[in-house]
Amino acid sequence: MFALILPAVLVVAALLVGPMVLLARISLNQYSATQLMIEATTAQNYLNAVADPYYRGVMLTTLVMAFICTALTLALGFPAAYRLARMESRWKSLVTVLTLIPLLVGNVVRAAGWLGLLGNDGLINATLRGLGLTSEPLRLVYTPGAVAVGTIAVVLPYMILTLSSVIESIPRAVEEAAANLGASAFTVFRRVVWPLALPGTVAGCVLVFILCMNTYATAVLLGGSQFKMMAPAVYDQFSKGMNWPFGAALAFILLAATLVLTVLGTALLGRRYAR
Amino acid sequence: MGTLLLDGVSKRYGEAVAVDRVDLDIRQGELVALLGPSGCGKTTTLRMVAGFIEPTAGRVVIGGRDVTRLPPYARDTGMVFQSYALFPHMSVADNVGFGLEMRKVARAERDRRVAEALRLVRLDALADRLPRQLSGGQQQRVALARALVVSPAVFLLDEPLSNLDAKLRAEVGLEIRELQKRLGLTTLMVTHDQDEALAMADRLVVMEHGRVLQVGTAEDLYERPANTFVAGFVGRCNLLPGAREGADVFRLTSGAAVPCAPDAAAPGGLLAIRPERIEVAPDPAGAGRLRAMTYLGGRTEYHLDLAGEAIVAVSPTPLPDDPRRRLNAGDPVRITWIPDAARVIPTADAASVTPTPEKSPAR
Ligand SMILES: Nc1ncnc2c1ncn2[C@@H]1O[C@H](COP(=O)(O)OP(=O)(O)OP(=O)(O)O)[C@@H](O)[C@H]1O
Ligand SMILES: [Mg+2]
Repeated sequence: MFALILPAVLVVAALLVGPMVLLARISLNQYSATQLMIEATTAQNYLNAVADPYYRGVMLTTLVMAFICTALTLALGFPAAYRLARMESRWKSLVTVLTLIPLLVGNVVRAAGWLGLLGNDGLINATLRGLGLTSEPLRLVYTPGAVAVGTIAVVLPYMILTLSSVIESIPRAVEEAAANLGASAFTVFRRVVWPLALPGTVAGCVLVFILCMNTYATAVLLGGSQFKMMAPAVYDQFSKGMNWPFGAALAFILLAATLVLTVLGTALLGRRYAR
Repeated sequence: MGTLLLDGVSKRYGEAVAVDRVDLDIRQGELVALLGPSGCGKTTTLRMVAGFIEPTAGRVVIGGRDVTRLPPYARDTGMVFQSYALFPHMSVADNVGFGLEMRKVARAERDRRVAEALRLVRLDALADRLPRQLSGGQQQRVALARALVVSPAVFLLDEPLSNLDAKLRAEVGLEIRELQKRLGLTTLMVTHDQDEALAMADRLVVMEHGRVLQVGTAEDLYERPANTFVAGFVGRCNLLPGAREGADVFRLTSGAAVPCAPDAAAPGGLLAIRPERIEVAPDPAGAGRLRAMTYLGGRTEYHLDLAGEAIVAVSPTPLPDDPRRRLNAGDPVRITWIPDAARVIPTADAASVTPTPEKSPAR
């Protein structure tokens, strides 16, 4: 048994745990403008990050974006997942493939597509101007809204596929039994489908929340220079600031926040409906 | 209040006809079983009554109210699903109480009725269990209690015994029948098991290809099948081609003359004779021949040949000193039956037989 998972364990250890340990070590080093990095064991980078209002703001932006995007993705994804799960077999595989297709296009390409649609010279603004409805372009891109739309578009397939596999495992007869006993469609959803789908809903939300917390390309390309989320901030420290210790500390703060919220959310929701 | 009327109910899927102009009238407190081979439209019919499938034509009337266009939750039917379909995240008591909750029955009253329903199915000790902590038979009884507790106008059972093992099946079947009688529930049940249907139902509906072939009591169907399909489907039956020659004589196509029940309405066609109504005796001058004999413990089956016609007869296994015990394959035998045991059925293809008009039930 163990021999079977050993290769996977080794790969994970080499490609994930190794760099993480290295990064953790770097986060404890000291930054120097001249030498870039001085070997040390200090928590100063963490303290600086937490104390700095700018990075507190970035963290807040990231959290708010992740929460809003996760909630909206759930709201959009659940009905779609339900329809997909309850579909007749012939159409089902086709729709499943259609759901997967967006994943074939990278995030950067997709963000570029949104720019083409939402940008100042994009399709929407060009159309509005062409129709004489506006003279100035509407500010659609480089807004938090644009980032949210772009992010939701990226993560929605994950949510739909996770949810639909769970909903599929709920026998249709159970829903019919509720309807037969006098439950309206909404009551069937509230009393039967939702509680039974909850484990999958938690899983889908966790997955999507993690993806949202780590949004990079979408945030950079659709958010513009005024809008900053954590992942781009980390990258900035490594590439532009050359401040590796601080960047590493930011990365771990992001990781810790994601982890804590994920575990907390799972535990809370899990307990709420635990039998 | 609890009557069910199906008036020309049909369901088409494109060109395919799943249910074809079914008429049925079930009176208060009656248990009617839909019986027929796989794919004949039993489940579709039941689900049209429950409201899960909308008929393409016809009316469903429950307690005098036309419910054809009403959604399932507005119909007041209580359905027991083949898979039981219990709510896996709710306790037994909450499962049973769900329908009362939907009907806004007050808490105290609800608890009382749930307890009563659970006592009825002898599950009061397991009220706090979850469905997955119950055996199949217990889950089945929870499903029954859940449907019963709301006193539905019509009780619907979809193959209620098919998920139980053979021993439990007969027992639970009797239990359901007893409950149904005691509570006076108007019931429509689906089964493809004729023994189940014969044992439980007041009346049976034999269906084929979406159409009703005959409606009647177990005795009606067994003794007076309307056509060859019913004769062959309900119990075993020998069907011998030929024509009536006198009041009580039937001439087989193969030449032999055999006795038959006098019935002016049936001049020719097939002679239907049940295996257990046939007497077999060793007789060197007999017209029949024994092809094989199968010893089945309490019963013995005789595979016979009468002038080229294959006939099956069944009898209680004779005592050891009975001459029939010493029969061998190829021996000549005498094959007899009393005229009333053999009925002449018109030879029409079962599918083209017009359904017998249902006898208007006494009210
Ligand atoms: N959704 C559907 N689309 C097309 N045809 C269907 C559909 N549902 C049922 N049918 C057809 O309708 C006919 C009747 O089906 P139904 O399920 O009522 O049969 P049944 O008598 O319950 O059979 P069984 O004993 O196997 O359960 C079948 O021929 C079936 O193939
Ligand atoms: Mg069926």
